[in-house]
Amino acid sequence: MVEVPMTGTARRSLLARLFVETRSVMPAAGSTGLSLVLVIATMCFLASLTLGAVLAVNHATQSWTRQLSGALTVEIRAVEGQDPEMQRDAALTVLSKTPGILTAKTLTRDDVAALIQPWLGADIAREDLPFPQLIDVRVDTAAPPDLVALAAALEKSAPGVKLDSHREWLDDINGAANAAQGLSYAILAIITLTTIAIVTFATRAGLLANHEIVELLHLIGARDNFIASEIQRHFLLLGLRGGVLGLALSLLAFGGMALAMNSRSFLVSMPTIQPWTLTSLLLVPVMAALVSVITARMTVMRGLGRMM
Amino acid sequence: MIRFENVGLRYESGPEVLRDVTFTLERGSFHFLTGPSGAGKTSLLRLMFLDHKPSRGLITMFDRPIATLTRHELPDIRREIGVVFQDFRLIAHLTAYENVALPLRARGKSEDSYRADVIELLQWVGMGERLNALPSTLSGGEKQRVAIARAVMGRPRLLIADEPTGNVDAEMGNRLLHLFVELNRLGTSILIATHDRELIARNPAPALVLHKGEVEIHG
Ligand SMILES: Nc1ncnc2c1ncn2[C@@H]1O[C@H](COP(=O)(O)OP(=O)(O)OP(=O)(O)O)[C@@H](O)[C@H]1O
Ligand SMILES: [Mg+2]
Repeated sequence: MVEVPMTGTARRSLLARLFVETRSVMPAAGSTGLSLVLVIATMCFLASLTLGAVLAVNHATQSWTRQLSGALTVEIRAVEGQDPEMQRDAALTVLSKTPGILTAKTLTRDDVAALIQPWLGADIAREDLPFPQLIDVRVDTAAPPDLVALAAALEKSAPGVKLDSHREWLDDINGAANAAQGLSYAILAIITLTTIAIVTFATRAGLLANHEIVELLHLIGARDNFIASEIQRHFLLLGLRGGVLGLALSLLAFGGMALAMNSRSFLVSMPTIQPWTLTSLLLVPVMAALVSVITARMTVMRGLGRMM
Repeated sequence: MIRFENVGLRYESGPEVLRDVTFTLERGSFHFLTGPSGAGKTSLLRLMFLDHKPSRGLITMFDRPIATLTRHELPDIRREIGVVFQDFRLIAHLTAYENVALPLRARGKSEDSYRADVIELLQWVGMGERLNALPSTLSGGEKQRVAIARAVMGRPRLLIADEPTGNVDAEMGNRLLHLFVELNRLGTSILIATHDRELIARNPAPALVLHKGEVEIHG
Protein backbone atom coordinates (compact mmCIF):
# COMPACT_ATOMS: atom_id res chain seq x y z
CA MET A 1 0.00 0.00 0.00
CA VAL A 2 1.46 3.31 -1.09
CA GLU A 3 0.54 6.55 0.62
CA VAL A 4 -0.71 9.49 -1.36
CA PRO A 5 1.77 12.31 -1.04
CA MET A 6 0.55 15.29 0.93
CA THR A 7 1.94 18.49 -0.32
CA GLY A 8 1.04 22.11 -0.16
CA THR A 9 0.97 22.74 -3.86
CA ALA A 10 -0.95 19.84 -5.34
CA ARG A 11 -3.91 20.84 -7.48
CA ARG A 12 -4.97 23.97 -5.67
CA SER A 13 -6.37 27.16 -6.99
CA LEU A 14 -4.09 30.18 -6.98
CA LEU A 15 -6.00 31.71 -4.11
CA ALA A 16 -5.76 28.52 -2.09
CA ARG A 17 -2.05 28.35 -2.79
CA LEU A 18 -1.61 31.86 -1.50
CA PHE A 19 -3.68 31.59 1.62
CA VAL A 20 -4.06 28.02 2.66
CA GLU A 21 -1.31 25.56 3.23
CA THR A 22 1.52 26.28 0.86
CA ARG A 23 4.51 24.60 2.25
CA SER A 24 7.40 26.80 1.29
CA VAL A 25 10.81 25.23 0.93
CA MET A 26 11.92 27.81 3.46
CA PRO A 27 10.55 27.36 6.98
CA ALA A 28 8.19 30.10 8.05
CA ALA A 29 9.66 30.58 11.51
CA GLY A 30 10.71 34.15 12.09
CA SER A 31 8.86 35.70 9.19
CA THR A 32 5.26 34.89 10.04
CA GLY A 33 5.71 34.86 13.77
CA LEU A 34 2.97 36.49 15.79
CA SER A 35 5.18 39.32 17.01
CA LEU A 36 6.11 40.34 13.47
CA VAL A 37 2.48 40.22 12.38
CA LEU A 38 1.60 42.46 15.33
CA VAL A 39 4.32 44.95 14.42
CA ILE A 40 3.09 45.14 10.83
CA ALA A 41 -0.50 45.38 12.13
CA THR A 42 0.52 48.35 14.28
CA MET A 43 2.11 50.05 11.30
CA CYS A 44 -1.01 49.45 9.24
CA PHE A 45 -3.23 50.69 12.06
CA LEU A 46 -1.28 53.96 12.19
CA ALA A 47 -1.27 54.22 8.41
CA SER A 48 -5.05 53.66 8.22
CA LEU A 49 -5.70 56.27 10.90
CA THR A 50 -3.50 58.77 9.13
CA LEU A 51 -4.98 58.05 5.74
CA GLY A 52 -8.51 58.15 7.16
CA ALA A 53 -7.76 61.51 8.77
CA VAL A 54 -6.43 62.96 5.50
CA LEU A 55 -9.50 61.81 3.63
CA ALA A 56 -11.89 63.09 6.28
CA VAL A 57 -10.20 66.50 6.42
CA ASN A 58 -10.23 66.72 2.63
CA HIS A 59 -13.90 65.90 2.59
CA ALA A 60 -14.72 68.46 5.28
CA THR A 61 -12.65 71.15 3.57
CA GLN A 62 -14.43 70.51 0.33
CA SER A 63 -17.87 70.73 1.86
CA TRP A 64 -17.02 73.89 3.81
CA THR A 65 -15.57 75.41 0.68
CA ARG A 66 -18.64 74.47 -1.29
CA GLN A 67 -20.98 75.94 1.36
CA LEU A 68 -19.03 79.14 1.73
CA SER A 69 -18.23 79.79 -1.89
CA GLY A 70 -21.87 79.43 -2.91
CA ALA A 71 -22.78 82.23 -0.52
CA LEU A 72 -21.77 85.87 -0.33
CA THR A 73 -22.84 88.50 2.12
CA VAL A 74 -23.17 92.19 1.36
CA GLU A 75 -22.79 94.25 4.48
CA ILE A 76 -24.20 97.79 4.63
CA ARG A 77 -23.04 99.96 7.51
CA ALA A 78 -25.05 102.88 8.67
CA VAL A 79 -23.22 106.00 7.54
CA GLU A 80 -23.96 109.50 8.75
CA GLY A 81 -26.03 111.38 6.17
CA GLN A 82 -26.87 108.28 4.11
CA ASP A 83 -30.36 106.90 3.70
CA PRO A 84 -30.17 103.18 4.55
CA GLU A 85 -32.77 102.36 1.92
CA MET A 86 -30.86 104.23 -0.78
CA GLN A 87 -27.69 102.38 0.22
CA ARG A 88 -29.49 99.06 -0.01
CA ASP A 89 -31.15 99.78 -3.33
CA ALA A 90 -27.82 100.83 -4.85
CA ALA A 91 -26.29 97.56 -3.74
CA LEU A 92 -29.23 95.52 -5.04
CA THR A 93 -29.03 97.26 -8.40
CA VAL A 94 -25.37 96.32 -8.77
CA LEU A 95 -26.16 92.74 -7.79
CA SER A 96 -29.02 92.43 -10.24
CA LYS A 97 -26.80 93.59 -13.08
CA THR A 98 -24.05 91.10 -12.29
CA PRO A 99 -24.23 87.76 -14.14
CA GLY A 100 -23.78 84.60 -12.09
CA ILE A 101 -25.90 85.71 -9.15
CA LEU A 102 -28.92 83.56 -8.42
CA THR A 103 -30.66 85.39 -5.58
CA ALA A 104 -30.10 88.42 -3.36
CA LYS A 105 -32.22 88.53 -0.23
CA THR A 106 -32.20 91.36 2.25
CA LEU A 107 -32.25 90.07 5.80
CA THR A 108 -34.81 91.64 8.09
CA ARG A 109 -33.89 93.22 11.39
CA ASP A 110 -35.20 90.10 13.11
CA ASP A 111 -33.07 87.82 10.94
CA VAL A 112 -29.96 89.78 11.84
CA ALA A 113 -30.90 89.87 15.50
CA ALA A 114 -31.34 86.12 15.44
CA LEU A 115 -27.89 85.74 13.90
CA ILE A 116 -26.07 87.73 16.53
CA GLN A 117 -28.18 86.70 19.47
CA PRO A 118 -25.98 83.72 20.40
CA TRP A 119 -23.01 86.07 20.82
CA LEU A 120 -24.53 89.17 22.25
CA GLY A 121 -27.59 87.88 24.09
CA ALA A 122 -31.34 88.17 23.53
CA ASP A 123 -31.64 91.63 25.07
CA ILE A 124 -29.61 93.24 22.40
CA ALA A 125 -32.30 92.80 19.79
CA ARG A 126 -34.74 94.87 21.74
CA GLU A 127 -32.45 97.81 22.07
CA ASP A 128 -32.30 100.27 19.27
CA LEU A 129 -28.79 99.54 18.12
CA PRO A 130 -27.64 100.47 14.63
CA PHE A 131 -27.49 96.97 13.16
CA PRO A 132 -25.78 96.67 9.81
CA GLN A 133 -28.07 95.67 6.99
CA LEU A 134 -27.17 92.36 5.41
CA ILE A 135 -27.95 90.99 1.95
CA ASP A 136 -27.60 87.25 1.56
CA VAL A 137 -26.42 86.48 -1.97
CA ARG A 138 -26.48 83.03 -3.61
CA VAL A 139 -24.03 82.47 -6.39
CA ASP A 140 -24.17 80.12 -9.36
CA THR A 141 -21.13 77.98 -8.46
CA ALA A 142 -20.96 76.66 -12.01
CA ALA A 143 -20.44 80.18 -13.44
CA PRO A 144 -19.50 82.40 -10.49
CA PRO A 145 -19.22 86.17 -10.86
CA ASP A 146 -15.88 87.99 -10.85
CA LEU A 147 -15.70 88.68 -7.11
CA VAL A 148 -12.99 91.34 -7.31
CA ALA A 149 -14.95 93.35 -9.87
CA LEU A 150 -18.18 92.86 -7.93
CA ALA A 151 -16.59 94.06 -4.69
CA ALA A 152 -15.28 97.18 -6.43
CA ALA A 153 -18.65 97.92 -8.04
CA LEU A 154 -20.47 97.52 -4.74
CA GLU A 155 -18.10 99.81 -2.85
CA LYS A 156 -18.53 102.43 -5.55
CA SER A 157 -22.36 102.16 -5.50
CA ALA A 158 -22.76 103.80 -2.09
CA PRO A 159 -20.65 104.56 0.98
CA GLY A 160 -20.70 101.87 3.68
CA VAL A 161 -21.40 98.99 1.27
CA LYS A 162 -18.93 96.11 1.47
CA LEU A 163 -18.77 92.61 -0.01
CA ASP A 164 -17.83 89.77 2.33
CA SER A 165 -16.83 86.79 0.21
CA HIS A 166 -15.52 84.69 3.15
CA ARG A 167 -12.22 84.65 1.29
CA GLU A 168 -10.18 84.96 4.47
CA TRP A 169 -12.09 82.12 6.06
CA LEU A 170 -11.57 79.92 3.04
CA ASP A 171 -7.88 80.76 2.87
CA ASP A 172 -7.49 79.91 6.54
CA ILE A 173 -9.34 76.61 6.14
CA ASN A 174 -7.35 75.64 3.07
CA GLY A 175 -4.08 76.60 4.72
CA ALA A 176 -4.85 74.47 7.75
CA ALA A 177 -6.02 71.57 5.58
CA ASN A 178 -2.86 71.72 3.47
CA ALA A 179 -0.67 71.73 6.55
CA ALA A 180 -2.54 68.75 8.00
CA GLN A 181 -2.21 66.94 4.68
CA GLY A 182 1.53 67.58 4.42
CA LEU A 183 2.04 66.33 7.95
CA SER A 184 -0.01 63.21 7.23
CA TYR A 185 2.03 62.38 4.15
CA ALA A 186 5.21 62.78 6.18
CA ILE A 187 3.79 60.38 8.79
CA LEU A 188 2.83 57.87 6.07
CA ALA A 189 6.36 58.08 4.65
CA ILE A 190 7.87 57.41 8.07
CA ILE A 191 5.53 54.45 8.61
CA THR A 192 6.52 53.00 5.23
CA LEU A 193 10.24 53.42 5.89
CA THR A 194 9.88 51.83 9.30
CA THR A 195 8.04 48.88 7.76
CA ILE A 196 10.78 48.46 5.17
CA ALA A 197 13.41 48.49 7.90
CA ILE A 198 11.53 45.89 9.95
CA VAL A 199 10.99 43.56 6.99
CA THR A 200 14.62 43.92 5.90
CA PHE A 201 15.75 43.00 9.37
CA ALA A 202 13.39 40.00 9.56
CA THR A 203 14.43 38.78 6.12
CA ARG A 204 18.13 38.98 6.99
CA ALA A 205 17.53 37.12 10.23
CA GLY A 206 15.57 34.44 8.35
CA LEU A 207 18.29 34.04 5.73
CA LEU A 208 20.92 33.68 8.42
CA ALA A 209 18.86 31.17 10.40
CA ASN A 210 18.24 29.09 7.27
CA HIS A 211 21.56 29.45 5.51
CA GLU A 212 21.98 25.65 5.40
CA ILE A 213 18.79 25.29 3.40
CA VAL A 214 19.83 28.14 1.14
CA GLU A 215 23.19 26.46 0.52
CA LEU A 216 21.49 23.14 -0.22
CA LEU A 217 19.09 24.80 -2.66
CA HIS A 218 22.03 26.36 -4.47
CA LEU A 219 23.80 22.99 -4.64
CA ILE A 220 20.80 21.28 -6.23
CA GLY A 221 20.75 23.98 -8.88
CA ALA A 222 18.13 26.41 -7.60
CA ARG A 223 18.47 29.96 -8.85
CA ASP A 224 18.35 32.95 -6.53
CA ASN A 225 15.01 33.78 -8.08
CA PHE A 226 13.48 30.50 -6.86
CA ILE A 227 14.83 30.95 -3.35
CA ALA A 228 13.59 34.53 -3.21
CA SER A 229 10.13 33.45 -4.38
CA GLU A 230 9.94 30.79 -1.68
CA ILE A 231 10.89 33.31 0.98
CA GLN A 232 8.74 36.18 -0.23
CA ARG A 233 5.62 34.01 0.00
CA HIS A 234 5.93 34.21 3.77
CA PHE A 235 6.15 37.96 3.57
CA LEU A 236 3.10 38.19 1.35
CA LEU A 237 1.14 36.39 4.05
CA LEU A 238 2.79 38.48 6.74
CA GLY A 239 1.87 41.74 5.00
CA LEU A 240 -1.70 40.64 4.33
CA ARG A 241 -2.30 39.35 7.84
CA GLY A 242 -0.76 42.38 9.51
CA GLY A 243 -2.51 44.71 7.09
CA VAL A 244 -5.97 43.25 7.58
CA LEU A 245 -5.55 43.19 11.34
CA GLY A 246 -4.33 46.81 11.42
CA LEU A 247 -7.15 47.93 9.15
CA ALA A 248 -9.74 46.16 11.31
CA LEU A 249 -8.39 47.91 14.42
CA SER A 250 -8.49 51.29 12.71
CA LEU A 251 -12.11 50.71 11.61
CA LEU A 252 -13.01 50.05 15.24
CA ALA A 253 -11.28 53.30 16.17
CA PHE A 254 -13.15 55.24 13.47
CA GLY A 255 -16.42 53.67 14.57
CA GLY A 256 -15.75 54.74 18.12
CA MET A 257 -14.96 58.29 17.04
CA ALA A 258 -18.10 58.51 14.93
CA LEU A 259 -20.23 57.40 17.90
CA ALA A 260 -18.55 59.94 20.15
CA MET A 261 -19.22 62.72 17.66
CA ASN A 262 -22.83 61.81 16.97
CA SER A 263 -23.64 62.18 20.63
CA ARG A 264 -22.53 65.81 20.59
CA SER A 265 -23.43 68.71 18.34
CA PHE A 266 -20.89 70.96 16.73
CA LEU A 267 -21.10 74.44 15.27
CA VAL A 268 -19.69 73.25 11.94
CA SER A 269 -19.73 69.80 10.38
CA MET A 270 -16.75 67.90 11.78
CA PRO A 271 -14.50 65.78 9.57
CA THR A 272 -16.11 62.37 9.33
CA ILE A 273 -15.25 59.12 7.61
CA GLN A 274 -17.27 58.72 4.44
CA PRO A 275 -18.22 55.23 3.28
CA TRP A 276 -16.09 55.51 0.12
CA THR A 277 -13.14 56.33 2.32
CA LEU A 278 -13.35 52.82 3.70
CA THR A 279 -12.75 51.34 0.25
CA SER A 280 -9.62 53.40 -0.20
CA LEU A 281 -8.42 52.21 3.20
CA LEU A 282 -8.36 48.70 1.67
CA LEU A 283 -5.21 49.95 -0.01
CA VAL A 284 -3.41 49.73 3.32
CA PRO A 285 -3.19 45.91 3.56
CA VAL A 286 -2.45 45.71 -0.16
CA MET A 287 0.39 48.19 0.25
CA ALA A 288 1.61 46.36 3.35
CA ALA A 289 1.79 43.10 1.40
CA LEU A 290 3.49 44.80 -1.55
CA VAL A 291 6.04 46.60 0.59
CA SER A 292 6.78 43.39 2.53
CA VAL A 293 7.18 41.24 -0.58
CA ILE A 294 9.31 43.72 -2.51
CA THR A 295 11.52 44.48 0.48
CA ALA A 296 11.99 40.79 1.29
CA ARG A 297 12.80 39.98 -2.31
CA MET A 298 15.36 42.75 -2.64
CA THR A 299 16.96 41.80 0.66
CA VAL A 300 17.19 38.12 -0.33
CA MET A 301 18.59 38.84 -3.77
CA ARG A 302 21.21 41.15 -2.28
CA GLY A 303 22.10 38.58 0.40
CA LEU A 304 22.31 35.67 -2.06
CA GLY A 305 24.44 37.69 -4.48
CA ARG A 306 27.23 37.53 -1.93
CA MET A 307 27.23 33.70 -1.85
CA MET A 308 29.02 31.32 -4.24
CA MET B 1 34.73 15.31 -19.44
CA ILE B 2 35.63 15.99 -15.80
CA ARG B 3 39.21 16.90 -15.17
CA PHE B 4 41.24 17.91 -12.13
CA GLU B 5 44.74 19.27 -12.84
CA ASN B 6 47.18 19.93 -10.00
CA VAL B 7 44.28 20.85 -7.76
CA GLY B 8 45.13 21.96 -4.24
CA LEU B 9 42.79 22.86 -1.40
CA ARG B 10 43.31 24.35 2.00
CA TYR B 11 40.60 25.56 4.35
CA GLU B 12 41.48 29.10 5.35
CA SER B 13 44.96 29.05 6.81
CA GLY B 14 44.95 25.31 7.66
CA PRO B 15 47.20 22.68 6.09
CA GLU B 16 46.67 21.60 2.50
CA VAL B 17 43.97 18.93 2.56
CA LEU B 18 44.48 18.22 -1.13
CA ARG B 19 47.59 18.91 -3.14
CA ASP B 20 48.42 18.14 -6.74
CA VAL B 21 45.30 16.13 -7.37
CA THR B 22 45.15 15.15 -11.03
CA PHE B 23 42.71 12.76 -12.70
CA THR B 24 40.11 12.53 -15.46
CA LEU B 25 36.66 10.96 -15.38
CA GLU B 26 35.36 10.03 -18.77
CA ARG B 27 31.73 10.33 -19.72
CA GLY B 28 29.73 7.37 -18.46
CA SER B 29 32.49 6.11 -16.16
CA PHE B 30 32.07 4.42 -12.78
CA HIS B 31 34.62 5.10 -10.04
CA PHE B 32 35.01 4.62 -6.34
CA LEU B 33 36.83 7.13 -4.19
CA THR B 34 38.57 5.63 -1.18
CA GLY B 35 41.05 6.59 1.46
CA PRO B 36 41.28 6.68 5.23
CA SER B 37 38.98 8.86 7.25
CA GLY B 38 40.09 12.46 7.05
CA ALA B 39 42.00 11.85 3.81
CA GLY B 40 39.93 14.49 2.05
CA LYS B 41 37.30 12.50 0.17
CA THR B 42 34.46 14.80 1.10
CA SER B 43 36.67 17.80 0.37
CA LEU B 44 37.42 16.53 -3.12
CA LEU B 45 33.75 15.88 -3.80
CA ARG B 46 32.81 19.37 -2.59
CA LEU B 47 35.12 20.82 -5.20
CA MET B 48 33.41 18.69 -7.81
CA PHE B 49 29.86 19.67 -6.92
CA LEU B 50 30.89 23.34 -6.85
CA ASP B 51 30.45 23.87 -3.12
CA HIS B 52 33.95 25.25 -2.73
CA LYS B 53 36.64 26.75 -4.90
CA PRO B 54 40.07 25.12 -5.14
CA SER B 55 43.00 27.04 -3.69
CA ARG B 56 44.92 26.30 -6.84
CA GLY B 57 44.81 24.15 -9.95
CA LEU B 58 42.30 23.74 -12.72
CA ILE B 59 38.93 21.96 -12.54
CA THR B 60 36.98 21.26 -15.69
CA MET B 61 33.35 20.10 -15.41
CA PHE B 62 31.58 18.90 -18.54
CA ASP B 63 34.33 20.49 -20.60
CA ARG B 64 33.98 23.89 -18.91
CA PRO B 65 36.75 25.33 -16.74
CA ILE B 66 34.85 26.25 -13.60
CA ALA B 67 37.05 29.25 -12.87
CA THR B 68 35.45 30.95 -15.87
CA LEU B 69 31.86 30.32 -14.79
CA THR B 70 29.81 33.31 -13.67
CA ARG B 71 27.47 33.06 -10.70
CA HIS B 72 24.62 33.01 -13.13
CA GLU B 73 25.95 29.91 -14.92
CA LEU B 74 26.54 27.83 -11.80
CA PRO B 75 22.95 26.51 -11.46
CA ASP B 76 23.07 25.03 -14.98
CA ILE B 77 26.19 23.03 -14.15
CA ARG B 78 24.89 22.05 -10.71
CA ARG B 79 21.70 20.66 -12.25
CA GLU B 80 23.86 18.16 -14.14
CA ILE B 81 25.24 16.87 -10.85
CA GLY B 82 23.31 14.77 -8.34
CA VAL B 83 24.82 14.63 -4.87
CA VAL B 84 24.23 12.25 -1.97
CA PHE B 85 25.71 14.18 0.94
CA GLN B 86 27.50 12.32 3.69
CA ASP B 87 25.18 14.08 6.19
CA PHE B 88 22.12 13.74 3.86
CA ARG B 89 21.06 17.40 4.19
CA LEU B 90 17.34 16.69 4.03
CA ILE B 91 15.13 19.69 4.75
CA ALA B 92 13.65 19.06 8.17
CA HIS B 93 10.18 20.54 7.70
CA LEU B 94 9.54 18.87 4.34
CA THR B 95 8.29 15.30 3.92
CA ALA B 96 10.31 12.57 2.24
CA TYR B 97 8.23 13.11 -0.88
CA GLU B 98 8.79 16.85 -0.87
CA ASN B 99 12.51 16.46 -0.28
CA VAL B 100 12.86 14.12 -3.23
CA ALA B 101 10.78 16.42 -5.43
CA LEU B 102 12.93 19.42 -4.56
CA PRO B 103 15.35 19.35 -7.53
CA LEU B 104 12.42 19.37 -9.94
CA ARG B 105 10.52 22.01 -8.01
CA ALA B 106 13.64 24.17 -8.06
CA ARG B 107 13.70 23.81 -11.83
CA GLY B 108 10.21 25.28 -11.94
CA LYS B 109 8.49 22.01 -12.94
CA SER B 110 4.85 21.58 -12.03
CA GLU B 111 3.98 18.96 -9.47
CA ASP B 112 1.70 17.15 -11.90
CA SER B 113 4.68 16.51 -14.15
CA TYR B 114 6.81 14.77 -11.52
CA ARG B 115 4.52 13.32 -8.84
CA ALA B 116 4.38 9.82 -10.30
CA ASP B 117 8.15 9.70 -10.89
CA VAL B 118 8.92 10.81 -7.35
CA ILE B 119 6.61 8.16 -5.88
CA GLU B 120 8.03 5.46 -8.12
CA LEU B 121 11.58 6.31 -7.19
CA LEU B 122 10.76 6.35 -3.47
CA GLN B 123 9.12 2.95 -3.88
CA TRP B 124 12.23 1.72 -5.62
CA VAL B 125 14.39 2.60 -2.63
CA GLY B 126 11.86 0.96 -0.33
CA MET B 127 10.34 4.17 1.00
CA GLY B 128 6.94 3.91 -0.70
CA GLU B 129 5.18 3.76 2.62
CA ARG B 130 6.98 6.70 4.18
CA LEU B 131 6.18 9.39 1.61
CA ASN B 132 4.75 11.77 4.18
CA ALA B 133 7.32 11.12 6.87
CA LEU B 134 9.42 14.01 8.12
CA PRO B 135 13.17 13.34 8.15
CA SER B 136 13.30 13.50 11.94
CA THR B 137 11.09 10.41 12.08
CA LEU B 138 13.32 8.37 9.74
CA SER B 139 16.18 6.07 10.64
CA GLY B 140 19.67 6.80 9.34
CA GLY B 141 19.34 4.27 6.55
CA GLU B 142 15.92 5.61 5.58
CA LYS B 143 17.25 9.17 5.42
CA GLN B 144 20.07 7.91 3.27
CA ARG B 145 17.66 6.33 0.82
CA VAL B 146 15.62 9.53 0.60
CA ALA B 147 18.85 11.45 0.01
CA ILE B 148 19.79 9.04 -2.78
CA ALA B 149 16.39 9.36 -4.37
CA ARG B 150 16.71 13.16 -4.33
CA ALA B 151 20.17 12.99 -5.93
CA VAL B 152 18.89 10.76 -8.71
CA MET B 153 15.63 12.65 -9.26
CA GLY B 154 17.04 15.37 -11.48
CA ARG B 155 18.48 12.79 -13.92
CA PRO B 156 22.03 14.07 -13.46
CA ARG B 157 24.90 13.51 -15.87
CA LEU B 158 27.17 12.93 -12.89
CA LEU B 159 26.15 11.27 -9.64
CA ILE B 160 28.36 11.92 -6.64
CA ALA B 161 27.69 9.84 -3.53
CA ASP B 162 29.52 10.34 -0.26
CA GLU B 163 29.33 7.10 1.76
CA PRO B 164 25.91 6.21 0.35
CA THR B 165 25.77 2.81 1.99
CA GLY B 166 27.19 3.72 5.37
CA ASN B 167 23.95 3.28 7.25
CA VAL B 168 22.18 0.42 5.49
CA ASP B 169 22.43 -3.34 5.76
CA ALA B 170 24.13 -5.44 3.11
CA GLU B 171 20.93 -6.25 1.26
CA MET B 172 19.86 -2.60 0.96
CA GLY B 173 23.47 -1.70 0.12
CA ASN B 174 23.25 -4.16 -2.76
CA ARG B 175 20.00 -2.71 -3.93
CA LEU B 176 21.36 0.84 -3.91
CA LEU B 177 24.49 -0.28 -5.72
CA HIS B 178 22.22 -1.85 -8.29
CA LEU B 179 20.47 1.51 -8.69
CA PHE B 180 23.82 3.20 -9.33
CA VAL B 181 24.82 0.54 -11.83
CA GLU B 182 21.49 0.94 -13.64
CA LEU B 183 21.97 4.69 -13.83
CA ASN B 184 25.50 4.19 -15.08
CA ARG B 185 24.20 1.92 -17.80
CA LEU B 186 21.88 4.74 -18.86
CA GLY B 187 24.88 7.05 -19.27
CA THR B 188 25.34 8.72 -15.90
CA SER B 189 28.90 9.00 -14.62
CA ILE B 190 29.16 7.71 -11.07
CA LEU B 191 31.64 8.59 -8.33
CA ILE B 192 31.13 6.90 -4.97
CA ALA B 193 33.22 7.72 -1.93
CA THR B 194 33.26 4.74 0.39
CA HIS B 195 35.17 2.78 3.02
CA ASP B 196 33.06 -0.24 2.22
CA ARG B 197 35.43 -2.88 0.77
CA GLU B 198 32.55 -5.29 0.32
CA LEU B 199 30.74 -2.79 -1.85
CA ILE B 200 33.82 -2.36 -4.02
CA ALA B 201 34.27 -6.11 -4.24
CA ARG B 202 30.69 -6.59 -5.45
CA ASN B 203 31.11 -4.17 -8.31
CA PRO B 204 34.71 -4.07 -9.35
CA ALA B 205 35.45 -0.64 -10.78
CA PRO B 206 38.49 1.61 -10.85
CA ALA B 207 39.14 3.47 -7.61
CA LEU B 208 40.64 6.87 -6.93
CA VAL B 209 42.67 6.36 -3.78
CA LEU B 210 43.40 9.45 -1.71
CA HIS B 211 46.62 9.30 0.20
CA LYS B 212 48.36 12.23 1.82
CA GLY B 213 46.45 14.71 -0.29
CA GLU B 214 47.22 13.05 -3.60
CA VAL B 215 45.23 10.72 -5.81
CA GLU B 216 46.30 7.44 -7.30
CA ILE B 217 44.11 5.50 -9.67
CA HIS B 218 43.86 1.79 -8.96
CA GLY B 219 42.40 -0.63 -11.43
N1 LIG C 1 35.08 23.16 6.49
C1 LIG C 1 36.29 22.76 6.92
N2 LIG C 1 37.13 23.64 7.52
C2 LIG C 1 38.34 23.27 7.93
N3 LIG C 1 38.82 22.04 7.81
C3 LIG C 1 38.06 21.10 7.23
C4 LIG C 1 36.73 21.41 6.75
N4 LIG C 1 36.21 20.29 6.21
C5 LIG C 1 37.14 19.33 6.36
N5 LIG C 1 38.24 19.80 6.95
C6 LIG C 1 39.45 19.04 7.20
O1 LIG C 1 39.91 18.49 5.98
C7 LIG C 1 40.39 17.15 6.17
C8 LIG C 1 39.64 16.24 5.21
O2 LIG C 1 38.29 16.17 5.59
P1 LIG C 1 37.23 15.40 4.71
O3 LIG C 1 35.91 15.61 5.32
O4 LIG C 1 37.42 15.79 3.30
O5 LIG C 1 37.72 13.88 4.92
P2 LIG C 1 37.01 12.54 4.45
O6 LIG C 1 38.02 11.79 3.66
O7 LIG C 1 35.73 12.82 3.81
O8 LIG C 1 36.80 11.80 5.84
P3 LIG C 1 35.62 10.75 6.23
O9 LIG C 1 35.99 9.45 5.60
O10 LIG C 1 35.71 10.67 7.71
O11 LIG C 1 34.34 11.30 5.75
C9 LIG C 1 40.15 16.81 7.61
O12 LIG C 1 41.39 16.94 8.28
C10 LIG C 1 39.20 17.85 8.11
O13 LIG C 1 39.49 18.18 9.44
MG1 LIG D 1 33.75 12.46 4.27
